[in-house]
Amino acid sequence: MKKAPGDEPDEDLTVTPPKKWAAGVPAVVHAMEYSLEETSARRTGTTLLTMNQVDGIDCPGCAWADPAPGHRHRNEYCENGAKHINDEATTRRIGADFFREHSVSDLAGRSDAWLNQQGRLTEPMVKRPGSDHYEPISWNDAVGLMAEELTSLDTPDEAVFYTSGRASNEAAFVLQLFARALGTNNLPDCSNLCHESSGYALHETLGTGKGTVSLHDLHHADLIFLVGQNPGSNHPRQLSALEQAKRNGARIIAVNPLPEAGLLRFKNPQKPRGVIGSGTQIADRFLRIRNGGDLALFQALNRLLLEAEDARPGEVLDHGFIDADTTGFEEFARHVRGVEWDGVLAATGLTREEIEQVRDEVLRSERVVVCWAMGLTQHKHAVPTIREIVNFLLLRGNVGRAGTGACPVRGHSNVQGDRTMGIWEQMPDSFLDALKEEFGFDPPRAHGYDSVNAIRAMREGKVRFFLGLAGNFVRATPDSTVTEEAVRRCRLTAHISTKLNRSHTVCGDTALILPALGRTEKDVQATGEQFVTVENSMSEVHTSRGRLRPASSLLLSDIAILCRLARRTLGDKPDIAWERFEADYGVIRDHIARIVPGFEDYNRRVARPGGIQLMNPVNEGVYSTGTGRALFTRNSAEAPRVPEGHLLLQTLRSHDQWNTVPYTSNDRYRGIHGSRRVVLVNPDDVRALGLSDGERVDLVSVWTDDVERRAEDFRVVPYPTARGCAAAYYPETNLLVPLDSVADHSNQPTFKSIVVRLEPARVGAPQA
Amino acid sequence: MHSIEQTIQIAVPVRTAYNQWTQFQHFPRFMTTVREVDQIKPSLTSWTLAAGPLHGTFQAEIVEQEPDSHLVWRSLDERPGHRGRVSFTPTPDGGTALTVRMELGLNGPAGLVPGVSQAAGRVVAAELRHFKEYIEGLGQESGAWRGTIRGGRLRRAEAERNVSGVPCWPHG
Repeated sequence: MKKAPGDEPDEDLTVTPPKKWAAGVPAVVHAMEYSLEETSARRTGTTLLTMNQVDGIDCPGCAWADPAPGHRHRNEYCENGAKHINDEATTRRIGADFFREHSVSDLAGRSDAWLNQQGRLTEPMVKRPGSDHYEPISWNDAVGLMAEELTSLDTPDEAVFYTSGRASNEAAFVLQLFARALGTNNLPDCSNLCHESSGYALHETLGTGKGTVSLHDLHHADLIFLVGQNPGSNHPRQLSALEQAKRNGARIIAVNPLPEAGLLRFKNPQKPRGVIGSGTQIADRFLRIRNGGDLALFQALNRLLLEAEDARPGEVLDHGFIDADTTGFEEFARHVRGVEWDGVLAATGLTREEIEQVRDEVLRSERVVVCWAMGLTQHKHAVPTIREIVNFLLLRGNVGRAGTGACPVRGHSNVQGDRTMGIWEQMPDSFLDALKEEFGFDPPRAHGYDSVNAIRAMREGKVRFFLGLAGNFVRATPDSTVTEEAVRRCRLTAHISTKLNRSHTVCGDTALILPALGRTEKDVQATGEQFVTVENSMSEVHTSRGRLRPASSLLLSDIAILCRLARRTLGDKPDIAWERFEADYGVIRDHIARIVPGFEDYNRRVARPGGIQLMNPVNEGVYSTGTGRALFTRNSAEAPRVPEGHLLLQTLRSHDQWNTVPYTSNDRYRGIHGSRRVVLVNPDDVRALGLSDGERVDLVSVWTDDVERRAEDFRVVPYPTARGCAAAYYPETNLLVPLDSVADHSNQPTFKSIVVRLEPARVGAPQA
Repeated sequence: MHSIEQTIQIAVPVRTAYNQWTQFQHFPRFMTTVREVDQIKPSLTSWTLAAGPLHGTFQAEIVEQEPDSHLVWRSLDERPGHRGRVSFTPTPDGGTALTVRMELGLNGPAGLVPGVSQAAGRVVAAELRHFKEYIEGLGQESGAWRGTIRGGRLRRAEAERNVSGVPCWPHG
């Protein structure tokens, strides 16, 4: 184990050619190196060998599904999961001494990586009004401060409760219950920032907000689309499923502005052929699409399929399915036949021939799956784009059958489960009625704030209390300057956290750090050792049981913190057994079983190996769309106007990063080493804009308001991204994303679609 | 492609025989070659076999299923591919004639082994006898799934198409 860094690392940028394959031996080496820097060999062994095993620790890294019990590898994790779990299992600790040494302003000047590397939080801390230091506080007093603030609010809607995907089903359920018993639906979550557009579009068209595929469907698809996602860095275990699909004869088409290593080739470190062989080619075709061109691509494909049907009537479309199970086909067909090629080619940056080749692949394939991630969801027209993908799937009956379906790939381990548990500001009356029936209080019906609206409300002074259940709110959200100013207007901010992050440095008048048990740690309560449950991206609900001794004796579980807060704030009105919840998480699951459809007999069923496979209605022939049928939609969107001399920027994460937490300044698959302040630009654009390789520039975003949003001092790196596009890392570039630049319908920030210009860097430039 | 066809007379009504057949997870209780069956979703099952030409794990798609009538499946794995149909026909004495017809795509080394399809036929015949003994012995089915599958997709009556036993709010 290495000591935490005292100073920020001083490194120089070096750039090497992007890698053409992912994983292999280097992935194992990097995972082990990082793990052993953070913790001991023994703890590394414990975490890794129990990770994603039946009865083990669910990796908090991503929401990818595990193979069935009995079919898992001894090492069922990826490089990023190993880094992430040992980042939590670190033996570094920070307590009162650390906060005496470092003021809040000092910490606010530190990088995200530095803050993370200091180690695990060990005791509750408070920053009092007027002070620039955190100081220790007892749990009783910390909970008391929050309860006092909550009970003094003019209305419960002055409180906001944010949930991140680390939270278990039980913690999420308790949080939403507490918020609603208090009287508010202000329950923003990280889904608002990642797959809200997917949920909206799928719910509207298929009647379910969740993906419809299982691992088996991927294994047996004839054709798989990977659209706007980077599995090599963000869901590496997906590569194993793709490898198996390839071995079963699947073809894969990757659609992305950047030719990511994991889209091209995978060397599976679990197999001899991945260690010494050349690995498996992943994408048979790679379409280097412009940022946000996916709607136009799928519209063009749909038009081509309709034309293929015209040429060979009855052979291309699944008329039996369309007639029996869908509505809206005629209107959709009329609309999509009018899509013009000029617009498609401009929006996609592809050639007509490339798109026609994709059509031919589709026509040869009986079973098609489309996978996607943030590359689709974070645009103004994200919802229409995903609806158009549903149109594409419906045309040839590629839903509800084996080897087919829609696969939104979620990035945080329980982001799907938290929503299932009622973390949503707009829960339907059926759920609220069930809460009323079960707990005897009338939950508020008015919709609450999502993440963007919560920031707007804070900015307007309408929020006085903010509690974050895990996560790093100010770094995960857009318009960093605006967001931080908004958060600072709160009277009390509190974060349930395992490690330090920037959100702890952006304080309300009073700020609390509430240190919690991590997934890796044993959770012992009054009735004995507890486990929690989570739901993965493929709707499997299973247990997660920590194995390590907690980082400090003063840590409480998320559930314990929330139950104590609820009890202190609400007393016995309504009469909810918060104490019993804390003592025995099975009691919480018994309530969930009576409230959330599909969770009947929860405690017994989730204890089985592999847990519960929640039914997906689409696979059961059920379309809860109101009409009982899947819905074809007519979609249109205006491409973002990118003025001359500007680029369309997407924010993305590096390979050595997990959500808002960069581990190092390296991104080895993309060949970036030693610095995160880089902007990746197509070499032709570099020339056309009169820039040079390595030039220092500021990124300035263009928006309809008069605010200048400037990310300073980035180095230009020529990179094979699509023409007219650029890419740079978040959270450093989140400040460029205007708060009001959101997806239609889903209100999700447009992190992948920001118009920017590159100006010579002001920092370090000679003064005039 | 090697074909196998076996018929067996079972002394229970068609409904009982059919219902029992839909309980795939019970197959290992009476079939000696079937070690484990996992129903992934209504039209997709995963089978682990312990012996015979279909040794190993494979996934099978149920392409057609009509209660008290028939069920058509196909394996989804490349090798060895197979497809089959099981039909349930009432007999005059109130029993069931159960017919299994299978086509084995033994295009790998297994296809070169002399008599392989005869061997597979004997395995199927033996397993049908086991099924007969099981359901006749029990006298009533251990469960039932009465759904209809067409084209690999579960069909619902209009009235059931909007009803779902799962959370149907949008998931971000």
